Amino acid sequence: MRTWRWVSVLAVLVLVLAACGQQPAATPDEESEAPAGSDEPAPSESAGAGGEPVAGGTLVFGGARLADSLDPVQTSDGESFRILQQIYEPLVDLKAGTVDELEGVLAESWEGEPDSTEYVFHLREGVMFHDGTPFDAEAVKFNFDRWQNLPEELQANAYYYDAVLDGFGADNLIESVEATDELTVTITLREPNPTFLYGIALTAFSMASPAVLEAMNADDPTAGTFGTDVSLGGTGPFVLESYTPEEEATFVRNDDYWGDPALLDRLIIRPISDPAARLQALQGGSIQGYDLVSPTDYEAVTDGGFQLLERLSFNTLYLGINPLARENAEAAGKDFYADTESPLQELAVRQAVAHAIDRDALIEAFYGGRGTPADTFMPDTSGWAEPVAGGVEVLEFDQDTARELLAEAGYGPENPPTVHFWYPTEVTRPYMPDPRGLHEAVTQMLEDVGFVVEPGSDIWDDPGYLGDAQAGLYDLHFLGWTGDFDDPSNWYGVHFGYSQGEPATQFGCDVDGLEEAIDDASAELDSTTRGEKWAEVAGIIHGEACFMTMVHGDTALAFTEEVQGYEPNPTGSESFAKVWLSGE
Amino acid sequence: MGKFIVRRLLLLIPILVGLSLLIFLFIRLLPGDPASAILGERATPESIAQVRAALGLDRPLHEQYLEYLGGLTRLDLGRSFLTNRDVVGDFLQRFPATFELTAAAMIFALGLGIPLGMFTAKRRGSWIDQAGTVISLVGISIPIFFLGLMLKFLFAINWQILPDSGRIDLVHYSFERITNMMTVDALLAGSPGGFVDALRHLVLPGVALGTIPLAIIMRITRASVVDVLNEDYVRTANAKGLPGRIVDNRHVLRNAMLPVVTVIGLQTGLLLGGAILTETIFGWGGVGKWIYDAVVASDYQVIQSGVLLLALIFVLVNLVVDVSYAFLNPRIRYS
Repeated sequence: MRTWRWVSVLAVLVLVLAACGQQPAATPDEESEAPAGSDEPAPSESAGAGGEPVAGGTLVFGGARLADSLDPVQTSDGESFRILQQIYEPLVDLKAGTVDELEGVLAESWEGEPDSTEYVFHLREGVMFHDGTPFDAEAVKFNFDRWQNLPEELQANAYYYDAVLDGFGADNLIESVEATDELTVTITLREPNPTFLYGIALTAFSMASPAVLEAMNADDPTAGTFGTDVSLGGTGPFVLESYTPEEEATFVRNDDYWGDPALLDRLIIRPISDPAARLQALQGGSIQGYDLVSPTDYEAVTDGGFQLLERLSFNTLYLGINPLARENAEAAGKDFYADTESPLQELAVRQAVAHAIDRDALIEAFYGGRGTPADTFMPDTSGWAEPVAGGVEVLEFDQDTARELLAEAGYGPENPPTVHFWYPTEVTRPYMPDPRGLHEAVTQMLEDVGFVVEPGSDIWDDPGYLGDAQAGLYDLHFLGWTGDFDDPSNWYGVHFGYSQGEPATQFGCDVDGLEEAIDDASAELDSTTRGEKWAEVAGIIHGEACFMTMVHGDTALAFTEEVQGYEPNPTGSESFAKVWLSGE
Repeated sequence: MGKFIVRRLLLLIPILVGLSLLIFLFIRLLPGDPASAILGERATPESIAQVRAALGLDRPLHEQYLEYLGGLTRLDLGRSFLTNRDVVGDFLQRFPATFELTAAAMIFALGLGIPLGMFTAKRRGSWIDQAGTVISLVGISIPIFFLGLMLKFLFAINWQILPDSGRIDLVHYSFERITNMMTVDALLAGSPGGFVDALRHLVLPGVALGTIPLAIIMRITRASVVDVLNEDYVRTANAKGLPGRIVDNRHVLRNAMLPVVTVIGLQTGLLLGGAILTETIFGWGGVGKWIYDAVVASDYQVIQSGVLLLALIFVLVNLVVDVSYAFLNPRIRYS
């Protein structure tokens, strides 16, 4: 009998727990301690759905991860930026919803054109860091000087500084940063760089309080405290209240914010790496929104009565087509290919590959219908999409043309061309939600027009896939790009730029005049001519079918009904400052 | 006894050194490269070389290992490649969460397993006994991720009577993390509501994690009690008219507990390090999820030091089990 007593006690306990606080929302603020840093009681009255924005409330949001570091310069991925841009701000930023329009943030205004070497920033008055120290010209100088002289051990993490300002140390793009007066900063470049302002609009270039940086020994590679401790180094609309890696980041409204204060009392971001688990958390009610909804879940989200917010893409999936792969593989000692003669050396065969692929079908099947066929590398959200498209003749889906091209190259049903086609495993990307599924579908499309496809795969972050793809060892391979900023140099330039007279090994795209065309376009400072010149570059690359741009994959966020005011941005740079809760 | 403990602790040194070498080598055999994982599609041969150099991965293996070993002797287990955070600090921060979950799972497993094992043993051969055997077989063989997902789907998403993930309702309860065990911190903060909420968050992962140990403990208890019930001294105790409860507690259970305690020790050790699936499914910020994320990101330093720390805990838990034998059975002497 005593056994039963035991069992019943346990069972009752579980039931009581299940019943207790089952509806915690009924007694909202009873237990919650007042958020630190806010001395006035939170205005938690709420309005009806869809009404005027009201302040108050807590939002719990699911991201894939928290930040790699709380030091902006040492981060380069979207999940880190999500955390950091609630706290920190750069001098200038992209206007919400655009990828190419700048607006002042900590700089109220600036002087400097794409062809300038001198930029003068007029800083906003009365801005304070969260630690109470003032934001001024000296602070800007401190940040720029610190980045330029970052210890070598930390440079590896500072991808964007390296990429935008061409390395570190005294001979990079920055000649000098001077605090001309308390609120004026003059930055002098060694040579004009039309993408400079877009570069420093990245979250990685956010201003941090010199006092906090020093107190945290941010430059000591062995200190590492900047990753763990709560940072009060920003100027943004939220103050980081607590930060528990792997569990949550809690932000509270910055009541001393220089602009319109945030509407939420508190914002909590929880890392949930698996998209299915994020959906379950939304359905179970432990979060009120999440990012990167899996395209296969779009229906579940809308059917469940949640909002699905679409984020237009700033990315491109492409199919790399490399005529030199077999030579490269042989030189690298990899026995990927039995036949060293690649059919892809014929332009007609490369064009046949492009004509064989039905991009609309892929978008329907793998992107939940949300995405656009990529006619050029530049996403539709880019200001350069139109000028660049002017130079490109799109190889549309047309199986007959594909077969004709193969026949022209001397291939037919008796002697079909064999291509080796690779995809990465253990990875998904916004532009590539299901690499294996995409690979199967495209393989089928290629076989339909007469190719024989040898499949290959390797692990994404292994030197195997990324390394071999970039070393140009694959006939055909999937890869993609999410833009850092809106300029063709960040797309075509990064991928096809020559290095010491050699073309990019990834594509083996060596065409007479391409190197000069890229150099010429990169150096052009007049924006209309720049567009024309990049169109010429794109024309050469697409004309040679060195790669086939496939899809701009849109992504989506999901929210419960009461969450209002979230504005998705193609770059993924999104602040929660204007988000509010419309009440039950 | 003291000598025994000291000797066992000294034995730890060769065990841990051997283990550290094994883990060190195994990780480097795994596919994946931390530098590529960090850089993604932005990786270039130069940037990969730069990151590898910064992480010290460009040096010969033996140099890397000796440096790691040197760090171990100074109790420095290194820093995460990805976040540059101190591995020991990260481990200590997460371990209480795993400990709390393990405790919940073991309370569930012991609270049900021992009484049910005893109960079925005393009714050997009855339908209850047979049902118990079937249930425990199912419990042992059910995949934990399936059980976890089913529990979550039914109780959290469908019926919404228990939370789906996390350790506390973040909207309504915020208190200082002193021990990083939510139940304890809620009590320290004087928040009874938070305490109940933390317990509610423990139910589903605790049950998911505790099911296998429950089944094992129930079976071992049953088998062991059956053996003891046949002993002469039990018959004598019954024959001399001792009340049933005293016979059960003093004579049966105490003697039957020896193998059960071994299993409890082993299971606790396993749960402390093996809660990876449960922690991932229920978004539990413990050691398991930490190591899982590190494996995904090829964060060598976290994997090797994290696994080493878990191994250390496993060995220590077993030492405690061995020592507890002496209390359960005074005939056992350690020398």
